[in-house]
Amino acid sequence: MQTKIILDEEEMPKRWYNIQGDLPSPLDPPLNPQTKNPATPSDLAAIFPMELIRQEMSADRYIDIPGEVQDVLRLWRPTPLYRATRLERALKTPAKIYYKWEGVSPAGSHKPNTAVPQAYYNMKEGVERIATETGAGQWGSALAFATMLYDIQCSIYMVRSSYTQKPYRKSMMNVWGAECIPSPSTKTNAGRAMLEKDPDTPGSLGVAISEAVEDAATHSNTHYSLGSVLNHVCLHQTIIGLECRAQLASVESYPDIVIGCVGGGSNFAGVSFPFAGDKLIGKHPEVEIIGVEPASCPTLTKGLYAYDYGDEAGLTPIMKMYTLGHDFIPPSIHAGGLRYHGDSPIVSRLVHDGVMRAVSYHQSEVFDAAQTFARSEGFIVAPETSHAVKAAIDEALKCRKSGEEKTILFNASGHGDFDMSAYDAYYAGNLSDYEYPDSLIREALSRLPKVP
Amino acid sequence: MTVTIGFLVNPIAGMGGAVGLKGTDGLLAEAIKRGARPEAGNRALVALRKLKGAPLRFLSCSGPMGEDALNVAGITGFEVVYQTPHPTTSEDTRRACAVFEVHGVDLILFCGGDGTARDVYDTVLDRIPILGIPAGVKMYSAVFATTPESAAAIILNLSQSVRHMRDAEIVDVDEEAYRDGDLRTRLHGYAQSLYLPGLVQGTKQVLEDQDEDRAKEGIGRFLAEVILGTPDILYLIGPGSTTGAIAREFGIPKTILGFDAVKQGRLVASDLNEEEIIRLLEREKKSRLIVSIIGAQGSVLGRGTRQVSPRVIRMIGIENIIVVATPHKLSETPVLFVDTGDEALDKAFGPHISVISGYQIAQRKRIGVLTTKE
Ligand SMILES: Cc1ncc(COP(=O)(O)O)c(C=O)c1O
Repeated sequence: MQTKIILDEEEMPKRWYNIQGDLPSPLDPPLNPQTKNPATPSDLAAIFPMELIRQEMSADRYIDIPGEVQDVLRLWRPTPLYRATRLERALKTPAKIYYKWEGVSPAGSHKPNTAVPQAYYNMKEGVERIATETGAGQWGSALAFATMLYDIQCSIYMVRSSYTQKPYRKSMMNVWGAECIPSPSTKTNAGRAMLEKDPDTPGSLGVAISEAVEDAATHSNTHYSLGSVLNHVCLHQTIIGLECRAQLASVESYPDIVIGCVGGGSNFAGVSFPFAGDKLIGKHPEVEIIGVEPASCPTLTKGLYAYDYGDEAGLTPIMKMYTLGHDFIPPSIHAGGLRYHGDSPIVSRLVHDGVMRAVSYHQSEVFDAAQTFARSEGFIVAPETSHAVKAAIDEALKCRKSGEEKTILFNASGHGDFDMSAYDAYYAGNLSDYEYPDSLIREALSRLPKVP
Repeated sequence: MTVTIGFLVNPIAGMGGAVGLKGTDGLLAEAIKRGARPEAGNRALVALRKLKGAPLRFLSCSGPMGEDALNVAGITGFEVVYQTPHPTTSEDTRRACAVFEVHGVDLILFCGGDGTARDVYDTVLDRIPILGIPAGVKMYSAVFATTPESAAAIILNLSQSVRHMRDAEIVDVDEEAYRDGDLRTRLHGYAQSLYLPGLVQGTKQVLEDQDEDRAKEGIGRFLAEVILGTPDILYLIGPGSTTGAIAREFGIPKTILGFDAVKQGRLVASDLNEEEIIRLLEREKKSRLIVSIIGAQGSVLGRGTRQVSPRVIRMIGIENIIVVATPHKLSETPVLFVDTGDEALDKAFGPHISVISGYQIAQRKRIGVLTTKE
């Protein structure tokens, strides 16, 4: 039996899959935060290049990957798809488990899949500088790598709790020539306001986004870039799922279950959209698609499906998505990249429509799963990725009970080499099992924006 | 600035435990007959040796109540301010603490068990911070450091920088019931104590977990919003300063050791007894109970809480109990114990409980089985 399925470089997908082209009805439009009217391309032009705005709103089923972007992606793509026989044996499951290993990219996660095209389109428009935010530092390091390729300056607002917990992510950004600023910072109005409210705040992705958006909007040579959530980011990540589908086809297989962890939804979208598309058009109506989130920030499982801001200060377009409220500051779990109050509007829509579903787990059970994985397959995955591992293991254990030989595919979004302090905390018994008291929160006053 | 420490040892603490008695109070003669030897001084030594050379000034008691241990540890320049009689009783702990207070000590460091903690607290209340070196048979009060070593670390941190102060519950344990294998703790009062966030948190600290006041404020703000958002629900708010943060949000008084009733942010009644609570509940459509975690071993609804009897809990319903605790408290209590005094009711809580630990944040904790047997 083949351990890893590897595509040739020529077999790397040359087009991204845009699931908007297969939705039965268009997405609810994003709204301009001031006028509350549907956002127009010109509303976004101050901070995004036109090509990305076009992709954001496009209904074309496929969008070509520029040749120059393909050249860069080939540094690490196509990525391997592994058959997890050792894990299957450890679990004594009849299920067939496959995982897509995105940890082989220079930055160590799936994030460069979109960082590279984003930097590329900005370079094409002559943008000199890009501002962004990063939670755990995965996205920041990926964008630092991508902007370096195109000689674009890069300023990264990094959520303060991660900035102190993960100093090596900052070092990586420095190696690739980017500037990394702990957020909230005194550089922006949004940051100063937050610090005034609470000088000891651990920060949040929502605040960091506000800072980066404000930086871009107030500097004429600067654009903004987001590492998740938006439609064009999910689009770029579909290269993951397209490769998986081809790799599985090469061993005459197709998944019964597709799993990914969900922060803003991009790697989950990436691995699952090609399969969700097959489901939408009736080609594979029975494929089950599961997003996995932390119990402390359970956007898809306990949030409201409503219009909300993408950031804390209310500067981004208002999007229809599952949300815990834009002012929700999730507790500092080790999976920093999953600490986001909202979710990709497309993922939200597909969950709402029942095309996909979501589950949530507590921190310590997720690390139990990561340990099982490391002790069978060898790879030490990021705490974010561990959520997907946990769900895959649970599904495989269900198969052990039922005797079903299901094919389970999950995306291993990144390695945990810079997260060893999180593993240390796990072994020291210092992990708190944070959870979201949803019914009490619902009874307290809701703070979603009033949309007519 | 040099920190002045009032230091005392309860020489008989722990003697009962060593010979299979579950406490020493009232049983000293029996303990000695069974061959018990004073051990508390040795526990204190472990801490004192680590404090040797630190810029600290000690006031203490003569002989076995402090002086001997200080001498063996090699600590010099301390002052004996209390003459220890023979034999000692709990009265000596109280008298020594009164003398410490007159001398204006910054902290009382004692070595003993729950009984000693109670004697110290009864004398100085929350006017002087209290820290216990664990040496007794029972240490259910929250003023104890986890080990003698950690007591020393907390004090060394104190002399160097900021003081991390926190409330610490002093509990009464029913000695007779305890000897029969039955733990009944009752909240006795709230002392001031010290803690070292790094030491209890381990290698990974998260900013919001470090500050007690900040965490309490977050809990108070969140539950105040919930109370205002549910105007039809009556809230019974239990003892403690964590629950007190809710009352502070509304600017209403809070009975520190008792149960108050609040509705729509207004005080309905304070310091209720069981009968008053039942009468109140009978009038209400829906009520909730907000309680904090008590004691070093983390009990929820200790059966000593007479006002909230199993009958009251059944009237309110388990699903309407909201437990609160700061992250620091939760880090010290990996497992919680539900102890209503009614086993069937305890079991109904299930294997886990969700504890509100901050603004819009909860933590899931395991519920353990309570026993005094080793
Ligand atoms: C390794 C890894 N996986 C997953 C995520 C979550 O992001 P998304 O939901 O956009 O894939 C992150 C984000 O930082 C990450 O670093």
